[in-house]
Amino acid sequence: MEPMEEPKEEPMEDELEIIHAEVDSVLKRYESNPEKLIPILQGVQAKLGYLPKEAMLQIADAVQIPEVEVYGVGTFYNQFRLNPPGKHQIKVCMGTACHMTGGRIIMDSFERRLEIPEGETTPDREFSLERVACVGCCALAPVVLVDEEVEAKVRPTRVDGILLGFGMELPSANNKQKEEGREE
Amino acid sequence: MSVSGLKVEQAYQQLKIQAQQKLAGLQEKPYVLVGTATCGRAAGALNVMETFCNEIEKHQLDVKVLEVGCMGHCYAEPMVVINKPGFPQLCYGSVDEGIAARLVSDYLANDDPCFEFAMAALEPNDLFPTFSDYPRGVYEQKIVLTDCGLIDPQDIDHYLARDGYTALAKALDMGPDSVIAEIKNSKLRGRGGAGFPTGIKWETCKNAAGTPKYVICNADEGDPGAFMDRALLESNPHQLLEGLTIAAYAIGAAKGYIYVRAEYPLAITRLRTAIEQAREKGLLGESVLGSKFSFDIKIFQGSGAFVCGEETALIASIEGNAGIPNNRPPFPAISGFHGKPTIINNVKTLSYVSHIINHGADWFKSIGTPNSPGTAVFALAGKVVGTGLAEVPMGTTLRTLVYDVGNGIKDDKNFKAVQIGGPSGGCLPEPALDLPIDFDSLQEAGAMMGSGGLVVLDEDDCMVEIARFFLEFTQHESCGKCTFCRLGTKQMLDILTDITQGRGKPEDIDLLWELAEDIKIGSLCALGKTAPNPVLTTIRFFRSEYEAHIEEGRCPALMCKDLITYHIVPEKCSKLCDACIGSCPVEAVYTRPDMLKAIDLEKCVKCDNCLVTCLTLYQAVAKKSPPVVEEGES
Amino acid sequence: MSGIVTVIIDEKQITVPEGANLLRAALDNGVYIPHLCANEETEKPAASCRLCFVEIDGFLNPVTACTQQVKEGMVVRTRSRRIDRLVQTAFELLLSNHRLGCAKCARNGSCELQKIAKERGLKLKLTRLKSVVQETPIDDSPETFVYDASRCVLCGQCIWVDRHRVKVGAIGFIRRGMSRKVATFGETGFAKSRCTQCGECVKVCPVGALIPKAQG
Repeated sequence: MEPMEEPKEEPMEDELEIIHAEVDSVLKRYESNPEKLIPILQGVQAKLGYLPKEAMLQIADAVQIPEVEVYGVGTFYNQFRLNPPGKHQIKVCMGTACHMTGGRIIMDSFERRLEIPEGETTPDREFSLERVACVGCCALAPVVLVDEEVEAKVRPTRVDGILLGFGMELPSANNKQKEEGREE
Repeated sequence: MSVSGLKVEQAYQQLKIQAQQKLAGLQEKPYVLVGTATCGRAAGALNVMETFCNEIEKHQLDVKVLEVGCMGHCYAEPMVVINKPGFPQLCYGSVDEGIAARLVSDYLANDDPCFEFAMAALEPNDLFPTFSDYPRGVYEQKIVLTDCGLIDPQDIDHYLARDGYTALAKALDMGPDSVIAEIKNSKLRGRGGAGFPTGIKWETCKNAAGTPKYVICNADEGDPGAFMDRALLESNPHQLLEGLTIAAYAIGAAKGYIYVRAEYPLAITRLRTAIEQAREKGLLGESVLGSKFSFDIKIFQGSGAFVCGEETALIASIEGNAGIPNNRPPFPAISGFHGKPTIINNVKTLSYVSHIINHGADWFKSIGTPNSPGTAVFALAGKVVGTGLAEVPMGTTLRTLVYDVGNGIKDDKNFKAVQIGGPSGGCLPEPALDLPIDFDSLQEAGAMMGSGGLVVLDEDDCMVEIARFFLEFTQHESCGKCTFCRLGTKQMLDILTDITQGRGKPEDIDLLWELAEDIKIGSLCALGKTAPNPVLTTIRFFRSEYEAHIEEGRCPALMCKDLITYHIVPEKCSKLCDACIGSCPVEAVYTRPDMLKAIDLEKCVKCDNCLVTCLTLYQAVAKKSPPVVEEGES
Repeated sequence: MSGIVTVIIDEKQITVPEGANLLRAALDNGVYIPHLCANEETEKPAASCRLCFVEIDGFLNPVTACTQQVKEGMVVRTRSRRIDRLVQTAFELLLSNHRLGCAKCARNGSCELQKIAKERGLKLKLTRLKSVVQETPIDDSPETFVYDASRCVLCGQCIWVDRHRVKVGAIGFIRRGMSRKVATFGETGFAKSRCTQCGECVKVCPVGALIPKAQG
């Protein structure tokens, strides 16, 4: 189901300053034109990684539209997020070709290893897991975008490989049992 | 030719001669083209390119390495073309670092073209077959894909040297009315899905009251399973810019937008470069090629919403709003962006424009079928051997497309269906393979050309599941404005989910059908109106699969997770191998006292990993449906 | 050229100004057509509730009356098997996402859904479809009214008065698809928003989503 992202965290005082400064610089570029709302939000997200409520309020004020309008746009599009993303962003492609070649299995594998459902970020903010609606690499399905790098023909074992590559510790029981199995 | 026409022609010829001189200089020496479109990169093209560069330096060779786009042979990525004077231009597929190193040491440093790695030559020669010696090459007829993968998309001179922008110069001399007449006469139909005649759209917009007028290129390719627009943007952006500029000139627009989906970062980068270079050469901006016509293009980056492919939603999005469709009429050609006359054309549609202006409407009509002239670009994906982009004349049969161009079904499996047209399209069964494909024949069959995504499905693909997948997609992407799309597709999705999870009821099929019919008529926009197509076609052609799920709790394709269990066939299992155990992420596979392996169904998450692992070894892992309740320890 | 034209709606001759909105023309002349999202004062109809389907001679499929302008000689039917089926499905779909229980609803008796059901002989319970109502907390933060999103039909009337009549800008549509809803900025509830609690939105709500707080 559609993950319902609601703004969770209140930024600290010093964070607020950074937010205001960054939003200001983006607003300047677009001359506070309400028609540029989407590029403005994209610009802010590019700088901050997400759209804090304070940023949306500031934007609404500058382009002179009701703040709920900004919120409406920010929650309409897939790309905008209301909470800070993980350090590493994992996007599992859910296009037709990927789906038919096991994209769901790959999503399941990430969900199992990261212990979070699709659309969320791990509590340590290391990884966020999202779906993406086709990156246009259908011939190499199933694909996963790991920090914007395309991983082709991914299997559950590759999922472990990707996470190991980031220094994540996987349940060691697996290896243990293997050894035990041999001893028997 | 008029005086101003002469001026344009002179300005153009000067650009072209410069470009040709530069290219001639390049061609005197050997060079390497590496396909670094997104698909190439996914397959490792950037590493291959690095190897080429390093090895060339190591061998102290004077060889240029250039990045190009995609030739469409995605199954053979990464692809490389090597040009060495004295040899035919050769194309190599599935190049890895090792092959790259060999190509440098054996071919570039010495004179062995390594035919063992070569796919085809680009032009006829005595040494090696060309692409047209293979079925794919015989049936393909390239118009918009011609230069893709062969020219540097980041260097406008490559495009200019190959007569790029000739059509623009010609159009500026023809005058807007003649341009529109030519496009109208060519019967070019919009390649975005519905197939509306492009010339009529342009004419309506030109004649509509209100200024300024706008042109928008719809590059919000959102169909899961379609990637031809991405390939065109990444491989030959100037072909699109030229088409868009001609469109603007024809209708009298001074401003254009390209709406690109944000999921295509490389396409956006390459487009930006292309626009800048076109401006530098005077092909965009104030007084294009010295004429009185001024035009500039802005890129608008989408933010991830499939519905923005719908014209009115796309406009809402550029205007800074949520991408929510409005009732049509008014059509954008009358009242669009800012309430002004606006044409919105797909990337492919605009890419044809320069070719039609150059070669004439009659040439275009000589290709394809009378009502759908020209070619169709398909993105072949799924269980077909030759995945990638294929451009064939309209009227080609699906059989030719799947078996000749696509080289048949992977792993000797049996063909089941083609899913054509994405979430708006449908699934067509075996008997439909002899259907000549064009806009009208597909619509009659209950599918749609859509943007040209063509996913081949085999015996392992469940038709109920594919219908459920598309409904999940449309439900996820529905803007939620109108009742039928928001709630109708939700109801259908819930029913389909129940069926794939074994909770289906006999009356569900009729209910799905009724809802589908009502949603088709009742929805506000095309996204909703076409959303039921995948369900309607699968019920029509694969009803027995629905019935097997509902009545027997069985998934005939062994795909629906809740209706299958995994087992190890004792007769096939090798006691000595424990690859399956190592492959299991949840320790569900274990060794029995008799050393045979078995699966603990309680623990099994049905990830398929053991089956795939064992496939190359003993094929001892099997799926059963309906699911076996207890693990039978025979 | 704002002449007067004659149109026929359900065999009844009606004279209206040329270019008038068909739904409005029918309603003003005593012909009921179900509707929720239509708004007299907007130029662009939302056409989102999909209830006002009619058949017009010359059109292949039923069309929404709210998006049609009357033309001389137009022949319109508001009832037929096809229309009744479409309206029934649209109605049932809306009902499948509307928390039922009229007896406990403050709008009981003045609810637009009840009116449609009565006019068209439709049931106020689900028979074909399953309920897809998402449980959402009721916002009783305002002093004078209560907002129950699980009864909202997304007609947008409240948003329109908020924006265009009282010009406050406290509420809008957020998210999309099944998650689309009427909310305040950050979904904080009305009391924490810039809502002035003027109560205009409550007056236009056709169902029991925005209702006055019981006195005392």
